[in-house]
Amino acid sequence: MSLGHYLLLGAGLFVIGLFGALTRRNVIGILMSIELMFNAANINLAACNSYLHPAGVAGMTLAIFVITVAAAEVVVGLALVLAVYRNSATAYVEDFSLLKG
Amino acid sequence: MQNLNLLTPEIALCLLGLGLMLADLLLSVRRARLLYHLAWFSCLVALGLVLYAPSWAGAIPGGGALWVVDHMSQFFKAVVLICAILALMLSLPYKPLPDAQAGTFSALLLFSTAGMMFLVSATDLLLVFVALELISLSSFVLAGFERRNRKSNEGAIKYFLFGAFSSAIMVYGISLYYAAMGTTHLTAVGPASPALALAMLFILLGFGFKAAMAPMHFWVPDAYEGAPTPVTTFLSVAPKIATMGVLARVFMVLVPASGMQMTVLLALLAMLTMTVGNTIAIYQDNVKRMLAYSSVAQAGYILIGIVSGNALGLEGVLLYSAVYVAMNVGAFAVVQAVGEHEGSYGLKSFDGLSRRCLPVALVMAVFLLSLAGIPPLAGFIGKFYLFASAIDAGRAAGSGSLIFYALALVGVLNSVVSVFYYMKIVYHMFFLPPRQKEGGAPALAVGPYIYGCLAVTLAAVLFFGLWPESLIAHVKFSAQHLP
Repeated sequence: MSLGHYLLLGAGLFVIGLFGALTRRNVIGILMSIELMFNAANINLAACNSYLHPAGVAGMTLAIFVITVAAAEVVVGLALVLAVYRNSATAYVEDFSLLKG
Repeated sequence: MQNLNLLTPEIALCLLGLGLMLADLLLSVRRARLLYHLAWFSCLVALGLVLYAPSWAGAIPGGGALWVVDHMSQFFKAVVLICAILALMLSLPYKPLPDAQAGTFSALLLFSTAGMMFLVSATDLLLVFVALELISLSSFVLAGFERRNRKSNEGAIKYFLFGAFSSAIMVYGISLYYAAMGTTHLTAVGPASPALALAMLFILLGFGFKAAMAPMHFWVPDAYEGAPTPVTTFLSVAPKIATMGVLARVFMVLVPASGMQMTVLLALLAMLTMTVGNTIAIYQDNVKRMLAYSSVAQAGYILIGIVSGNALGLEGVLLYSAVYVAMNVGAFAVVQAVGEHEGSYGLKSFDGLSRRCLPVALVMAVFLLSLAGIPPLAGFIGKFYLFASAIDAGRAAGSGSLIFYALALVGVLNSVVSVFYYMKIVYHMFFLPPRQKEGGAPALAVGPYIYGCLAVTLAAVLFFGLWPESLIAHVKFSAQHLP
């Protein structure tokens, strides 16, 4: 296992997440894809920290912050999805068409 | 060097916000509006702490090298706190906000403000990321605060999806930056490697989302239209100003855009932002949406100063930020008064406003003229500074000067286009008869808080337009001593 493998895995996850976020129709699906993108960044950070810059812990620290913030983000997101679902009984983005112009 | 005492205003604001959340539980619903008063008073306390501090010379780093407190950060913090105070004033008379959640609402607004104060001080990508998320997470909830209103829900969820998406891309950019540099601290970089260029591009995307720059502006009209109007007012000024502050710090001082060969890209983004905002605004018949697109265009104007990258540009960014707050908050205050009275934010609600309430119509006309950049008003001074900085940069650049001249030209042309749709509102206010209801057209009732907001913002727009020297002197003082 070299750094290249980790970076490739990170890039692959990021692209999968990007593709999912742009093509999914369900809000929950989009949320999951965005989580993949966050985790791609985490893999990058951890791998680069231990292979390239082993002297410090900046990468690992940032990864922990990212995990925390991503969790908070999901909480807010799911709360919003619930609020929308209560009012309009849908979680599909193509049904969100009240606002346009 | 921890220098935690430099963070006193932010810490005070966060603690007071938590206190408001607790007070929400103790206070009966009938008295809940009291919490808004407590909230703006908290902001006033933080503002006092911010203004009390900066008598030192130069910039003081804190938390190792996480953030820096200097005159520029203090300037932006003061402006952001004033935005929060004005937004809370506008929330007081706004009926659709549930009384029972007044504490939560004002606490979230305070947390968001604290995030912006962190953001304008940040010199490290870790703090930039956390501050941006603090702003975003609070604003997502604020935008969807009218829980029973489907428009509010929809605007909030669109805002959330775009926000989460762009912050994921930004984090990936930060990881690339870390891979290339071995640190998350923002420092001047040598010749840009492809990884670093990609990293800065992704990071710029994250900023662009918050500042509503053109390819990342799709959430703006929907979130602004759906959100409660005081929140729209807040979102259209405060995060934008804070992001412009951090963009100025990052791309003019810490990692100069010219050193990364990013000037042309930023210039194109500025042009696109102005043009897209102004062009789409012409076709809107909902005033909230129109002002949303107008605020996209205004971000483009401020970006001109950042692209220029000279001292004049930096002063222009600061000057225009302060002026923009006054005129945009004022315009939105009128929109809120009219929209709540009429029950709709369509252009037609403004028909014959001059006959229903002449002072409000006149004040709105002043704000719109200032947004369009018509001479004796403050907006003109700001735009003049920004366009002059582009011309100045062009003169200094030699062979690469064309892009700067083009930027100034596009800016001027866009100002001309913007006059058209701003004047459309004026036309509806002054030259169309009021919509007839039984018993004649009702006069517009405006509460004391909205009148107060209008008085403050109008005074600022007129004063800084006619006597800009005081503000210019302050801006010049704030723009020096950068880290």
